[in-house]
Amino acid sequence: MAEHVVLFAGPMGSGKTTAIRSLSEIEVVSTEAANTDRATADKETTTVALDYGEITIDDVTKVRLYGVPGQKRFDFMWSILAGRARGLLLLINNDAPESIALLLQYLADFHELHARGAVVIGVTKSDVRESPTVADYSAALTAKFPEQLIPVFTVDPRNAEEMRTLLLTLVASVEMRELLAPAPEKI
Amino acid sequence: MNLLPGPAAPATLPSHLNPAHIDAGNRTLAEMQELATSLTFAAMLTDDGFEIVHLNGATTDGGRFASMSSSVQALSDAVAHELKIGTNEYVIIASELGHVIQLRVQGHPIVLAALFDTHETLGKGLSIARIAARRMAQLMA
Ligand SMILES: Nc1nc2c(ncn2[C@@H]2O[C@H](COP(=O)(O)OP(=O)(O)OP(=O)(O)O)[C@@H](O)[C@H]2O)c(=O)[nH]1
Ligand SMILES: [Mg+2]
Repeated sequence: MAEHVVLFAGPMGSGKTTAIRSLSEIEVVSTEAANTDRATADKETTTVALDYGEITIDDVTKVRLYGVPGQKRFDFMWSILAGRARGLLLLINNDAPESIALLLQYLADFHELHARGAVVIGVTKSDVRESPTVADYSAALTAKFPEQLIPVFTVDPRNAEEMRTLLLTLVASVEMRELLAPAPEKI
Repeated sequence: MNLLPGPAAPATLPSHLNPAHIDAGNRTLAEMQELATSLTFAAMLTDDGFEIVHLNGATTDGGRFASMSSSVQALSDAVAHELKIGTNEYVIIASELGHVIQLRVQGHPIVLAALFDTHETLGKGLSIARIAARRMAQLMA
């Protein structure tokens, strides 16, 4: 069975934990703690270490889903988990202030994974705030990375079908990269 | 059905901004230091990793240590949950030059994390940490 590891990253409250819970076939491993930073995201809990879930696609491909904490204070977890991933699913909540700049910041924070793996962007909470649009994000990404086409979707992390489409796009891109540049033999 | 309005929700100030909690933390850590000179660093932090207070912070980045302690605590809880072995009571990181002991302050979303040098036995460190956690709960009551 083929296996892939993908990482869910993005700002606090963008829906990483929610997305992994929507997708996972196993009971997720979660590390939620009571959230005291209500100013950044008004929700009960926040992730302080990781989320972990698994999903099988096409009956033959297992995808391990890792989520990181959104808060930069936990960036040591970002490096620990980014190291094992081949794909990055970056969720950005549309209601975040300066959300386009924020997206570019998170991409920069995960530049090492971005450089060697596949990336897909999911714009969440566009029901809460309509702008910027997917076209706005795409334009900013094209300006920043002219040689690349980074897919951008709107997605609701609470919706398993929508998340699945996003994940399948990412996995297809991971597989394409592996075909073009095979991973080094496991030791 | 109870139609009366419930009591107004208490204006909950996060512990790291709450003067009463900060004071309780400072007193607890000072008392802890008196029990063990081998205590090289100690901190109280919120479950989500904000430092409330620390002791002997000259050589340790308190903010970073608090974030890491909170991750370690949550991961250990997740392991205990996964293995169905009940509530996670302590986390111990025993290293060559020191040991970290972490435990929760009963009844509060607060973790006590303490670093002892290796002149302390683990057993004594544990018992001091447990006394301090109980003291913190008492001072906050
Ligand atoms: N209205 C709306 N709510 C959403 C959407 N996506 C997520 N949410 C809600 O927003 C919250 C997201 O919380 P989490 O999944 O904990 O966010 P997270 O990215 O894991 O955050 P951290 O772990 O704190 O970094 C949840 O309450 C979701 O129900 C969306 O597209 N629309
Ligand atoms: Mg989360």
